[in-house]
Amino acid sequence: MRILISTFREGDLEKLTLAMRRLPYDKLVILGTELDTGSASLSTVKKLEEMAGHEVEVDELDEEDFLTLVDEVSAVLSKYSLDPKTNSRNSITLNISGGSKLLGDASLFAAFRMGIETYHCENRVTKLPVIRGVTARDRFTPMQLDLIAAIGRGQVIYEDLVRLMEPASKQSTDRLIRELKKQGILGSEFRSSRIFVFLSDTGREVLNAIRLGETANS
Amino acid sequence: MVVIFGTLGYRPKSLIPTIRSTPNVDKVVFYYGIDPADKEASSKVPEARKSVVDYCKNMKIAVDPVELPDVYDFKNIAMRIRNDIRKHKRDGKEIAVFNIAGGTKPTSSAALLACILEGIPTVYVHDRTYEEIHLPLLRMEYNEVLSKEEQEILRTLLKNRTKELTEVELASLVNKHKATVNHHIKNLIAKGAVRLEKHNQDARKKIVKIEESAELLLGDDL
Repeated sequence: MRILISTFREGDLEKLTLAMRRLPYDKLVILGTELDTGSASLSTVKKLEEMAGHEVEVDELDEEDFLTLVDEVSAVLSKYSLDPKTNSRNSITLNISGGSKLLGDASLFAAFRMGIETYHCENRVTKLPVIRGVTARDRFTPMQLDLIAAIGRGQVIYEDLVRLMEPASKQSTDRLIRELKKQGILGSEFRSSRIFVFLSDTGREVLNAIRLGETANS
Repeated sequence: MVVIFGTLGYRPKSLIPTIRSTPNVDKVVFYYGIDPADKEASSKVPEARKSVVDYCKNMKIAVDPVELPDVYDFKNIAMRIRNDIRKHKRDGKEIAVFNIAGGTKPTSSAALLACILEGIPTVYVHDRTYEEIHLPLLRMEYNEVLSKEEQEILRTLLKNRTKELTEVELASLVNKHKATVNHHIKNLIAKGAVRLEKHNQDARKKIVKIEESAELLLGDDL
């Protein structure tokens, strides 16, 4: 099924109808913060979709802060990536021209995180260079991804990490740590006679991509 | 030389905190523009511009305000910003951070896109608290997600974008077997980078068209 997910707020009807005209879809999902479900714009969209025999799904998000919003948009994209009835993969298209500036930017960020085809529809339709299906995880080797997943969100003692990575040798794990530290994905700290290894903010972003990839593929 | 980039709308306070919090800033480049349909913009945007320029002058920081002709033209804003970032990098300047908080939505999103493509540290300033939020962007390295052959095909299509090339003609231009090119084209279609269209004169033939986004993707690599 082709799903068009569009950011939206009151006053964005023109941008949304441009996306609806230009981007083919079977189902429309509206994404917004502080959405007024009884608003004139949203009622018009619902009416238009009813005339075509479809329903509009509305996902309301909390506009707390940028990164929370990125996680919320990613969760919505992940939710619609699989058709629960047929268990087949949906084709998702995202339009980021509606809604607040924070929502638009967070949606673009989430699109890169998940490799979702993305457009900006305002006066004209601009396709954005998000490569379909390519996420942050595609930048790393399977062993590097294993190491990132093994560290997770906390701090891991170096010796424990070496054990977690077995059957890989200590030398291989050391090499992986060096590579990822060089890329700014990992950090380490010497404390209480032990070395602690942890993910940087960018490393946690890769971890998100790994986990979202697993959810979408499960 | 340490350079800060930013986008600016009505509020100088969305940009000035980044100039203050970044050590050893030598230059500030910021993008602004006036939306003719917005009555307030004609007075508020120049006021904001003046505040940032005055602040930089008082702090003895070089400043380069860049006026955007159309603050809603996403593609051209992204191309402009990406090219400016590349020029500064080529000149050996260090881009400390890009503040994407100000300006219209297309301006801010276009700046975010340029930062993702160029791997520039990005910061957002909260509307109400003026708190700086650093975004953990991971640079999209297209060298890693597109094979050399796929990149070559995209560049050839971009150079010949006014022509209607079939797969066979494309194969001849890149000096590869048509079956090889067909394989790469299938991959590029799956990645959303190219599409096939009917030939104008011969309905049996298909022409290979590069998606507009590939221009943004490849930047001025041509």
